[in-house]
Amino acid sequence: MKKKVIIFITLILAITLGWATRPTTAHAADDSLVRVQKKGTLVMGTSPDYPPYEFQATVHGKSKIVGMDVAVGEKIAKGLGVKLKVKSMSFDSLLVALQTGKVDMVISGMNPTPARKKNVDFTHLYYQGGYSIVVNKSEKGLYHDKDSFKGKTIGAQTGSTMYNESKKQTTDTKVKGMTSVSDLILALQSHKIAGVAMEKPSAQAYVANNKQLAMIPSHFDLSASDTSAAVAFKKGSTALVAAANKSVDQIRKQDLVNQDYLPAAGKYLKTNTVNTSMWHYWKAFLTGIEYTLIITVCSVFFGFILGVILSLARMLHGGVVKTLIRWLATAYVEFIRGTPMMVQVMFVYFGLGLIVNLPALTSGIIAISLNSGAYVAEYIRGGINSVDDGQTEAARSLGMTSGATMRFVILPQALKNIWPSLGNEFITLIKDSSIVSIIGVSELIFQSNIVRSDTYRGVAPIAVIMVLYFIMTFTASRILNHFERSMQHD
Amino acid sequence: MTKPVIEVQNLAKDFGKNSVLKDITEQVDAGQVIVVIGPSGSGKSTFLRCLNLLETPTSGHVAFNGEDLTTLDTKRVNALREQMGMVFQGFNLFPNMSVLENIKLAPMKVKGISDAEATKQAHELLQQVNLDDHADAFPASLSGGQAQRVAIARALAMNPKVMLFDEPTSALDPEMVGEVLSVMQQLANQGMTMVVVTHEMGFAKSVADRIWFMADGYIQENSTPAEFFAHPQTERAKDFLSKILM
Repeated sequence: MKKKVIIFITLILAITLGWATRPTTAHAADDSLVRVQKKGTLVMGTSPDYPPYEFQATVHGKSKIVGMDVAVGEKIAKGLGVKLKVKSMSFDSLLVALQTGKVDMVISGMNPTPARKKNVDFTHLYYQGGYSIVVNKSEKGLYHDKDSFKGKTIGAQTGSTMYNESKKQTTDTKVKGMTSVSDLILALQSHKIAGVAMEKPSAQAYVANNKQLAMIPSHFDLSASDTSAAVAFKKGSTALVAAANKSVDQIRKQDLVNQDYLPAAGKYLKTNTVNTSMWHYWKAFLTGIEYTLIITVCSVFFGFILGVILSLARMLHGGVVKTLIRWLATAYVEFIRGTPMMVQVMFVYFGLGLIVNLPALTSGIIAISLNSGAYVAEYIRGGINSVDDGQTEAARSLGMTSGATMRFVILPQALKNIWPSLGNEFITLIKDSSIVSIIGVSELIFQSNIVRSDTYRGVAPIAVIMVLYFIMTFTASRILNHFERSMQHD
Repeated sequence: MTKPVIEVQNLAKDFGKNSVLKDITEQVDAGQVIVVIGPSGSGKSTFLRCLNLLETPTSGHVAFNGEDLTTLDTKRVNALREQMGMVFQGFNLFPNMSVLENIKLAPMKVKGISDAEATKQAHELLQQVNLDDHADAFPASLSGGQAQRVAIARALAMNPKVMLFDEPTSALDPEMVGEVLSVMQQLANQGMTMVVVTHEMGFAKSVADRIWFMADGYIQENSTPAEFFAHPQTERAKDFLSKILM
C-alpha cells in the first residue's frame, strides 16, 4: 500500500517537476563531495527498527539511534572530515528522501539490487550476510527452511529484498509485507504469520532478546548483491561515492563489522532490553505527546486562519477577479478534500522539498494545516450561511462596512454555531497528526514504534498510546465543551 | 425653504420579472412623520429598504440631504447610512451581545468613540426607552416589546437624522404594541424625522403628518391623516380602509 503511495508520489514529482526520473548523471559538474564538505555535515537516512543494523537505544537516559550501520556512517563521515547526522524515517521513504535531497546517504541494511542501482549509486559492499527465518520457538520443529511454509504465510519488511525474494522463491506460500520489523514479530507471536524472513544479524538479535523466538536457515538462492549491504548515494555523486568507498574498503579489509561494530551493537541491545517496562520509556512517550500537541495546535491555528480566508473567498461575488478567486478557492477545497492526507503530507515533504528544504516537522504542520483549512473553510461557510440575513441588514443599517459587519457581527455568531464542528476537527487532528510519523516526525505513533523496536514488546506501547490519545482527546473535548457553554446566551 | 431630507425620484425595483416598485417620486421634509400604509405585498418594506440602499433600486434616484445615494461609492453610502436609523420587524438584535453591547457596537466601531463614552450614551438611551435595568441582559431573555425598544435605542445611538421603521410592531404580542408605539410617539414629539411602515391605524391617525398610501407599486395617495381616513380619493384606498376598519 505504502509502496504504491511512493510510486504515486514519484510519479507526481516526475510529472510536475520533471526531476525525479531525470538521470542526474547528466550533471556536468559533480559537486556532491564539495557540497557535503562545505556543509560540514553528512546526513544519513535510516530506518531504526532493524537491530543490530540500526535501532533506538537509551544511552545515558537519551534515546539515540545506534547499530552497526551507524558505525559505518560514522566511519564514512570521519573519512570525509565531516560530522554525521542521523535522520530516521520509514524504510519505504528512504530512497525518495535521498533523491529529493532530504538526506545525503542511506545506510539501512540496504541491498544494492539492480532495480535500486538504476535510481541511486551504491558504494562497495560493507557487509555480506545471509537470510534467516524467525519462527516461534514452540513451532520450531515444524519448519526447516523456506520450503516448509506451504499453505502458510511468512512476513517480510515491505520494500525490502527479502519481501521480493520470498515472493519469488516460495511456492504455495503467502507473503505478508509490513513496514516495520517489530510489527512483523508481533504478527508472528500472535500467529498471524508463521515466520519472518530477515537478515541473519537481525534474526540473531531478535532471537537473543526474545526467548519465545527461534531462527532457521532460509536456504534462499541469492546472488551476492542480494545478501549484502551497501551505502546508497544520490545518482551521479561519483566523487562522494569514491570518497566513501575508501572508508568502506577499510571496513571490509579490517573486518570492522564483525570485529567491532556488531559486538558494540550487541551491547546496546543488551542494555536496551534490561528494562522493558513502559514506565522506563516515559520520556519517549512524553516527547511523542509534545510533538503531537505541537503539530495539532499549530495546524488548528493555521488551518483556522486559512479556513476563514478560503470561506470568505468562496463567498465572493462580482467581477472577473472575484469570480476567479472564488473559483480557485473552491477548486482548492475540492482537491484537498478529494485526496488522502497521507499523500498530501508526503507531497509537501518530498515534493516541496525539491524547492525549499523544509524540516519534517514544518512540512507536517504545513501539510496538515493545508488539509485542515479546506475542511474548516466548509464549516465556516456553513456557519456564516446559518446566520440570519437580518443580522447583516441591522449592522449595515447602522453604517457598518461589510468587513466590520463580517468581523464583529457575523463571524462571532457563525463561530458559535460551528463550535461543535470545529471542536471535532481539533480532536480529529489530534488523532490524524499520527500520519506525519511516515516522514519521521517524532510524534506519538512514531515514538511508540521506537519503543516497540527498543523493547521487543509489541502490544504494550500500543496500549499506552491508545490511553494517551484518549486522555488528550477527552481533555480537549471537555475544554471545548466548557467554551461552548460560556458562549451560550440563548 | 429648507432642503428635503429624503428625495425619491422615479424609483423602481424589480425582483427578477416581478416589478415591486414601479415609479415613485416623493419627498420627506425635516421633522416630518410619514406613515406608509397599504395592503400586504404592495412593496412598502421594499420601498423603505430602498431609502437606505439595503435594497439597490433597479432604476431611479434616492437622495439623502441632497446627495444621490444611487451614484455614490460604498464608503459614502456607509457614511450616510449612519444618519438613517432603521428598526426592523424582527428586531435583529445581535444575540451574542448584551443589550448594552448591542447599543455600543456601532458607535465604537463606526464612529470610533471611546468605550466609556459609548457606555454612558447607551445608558442614557436605555433610560429613554425605559430599559436601563436590562442593560446586561441578553436579547434572548427579553420580551418582544423590550427587544424592539432596545433596537430603537440601538438605532438612536448613531444620532440619526431620520428613523426608518419597518413594521416595528407586527411581530409583537398585542399587549406589547403600546410600549413600542409610545416610544415612537415620544420620538416624533422630539421632532425626529420618521418614515414608518405600519398597520397601526391609531398611530397613523394621531402621529403622522402625512399618510402615503401604497398599492400595486405606486404611492396612490399622499395626504394628511384627517383627509385620508375621512375622504380617501382612490378606489384602492377606499377598498383598503373598508377592510381594515370593518
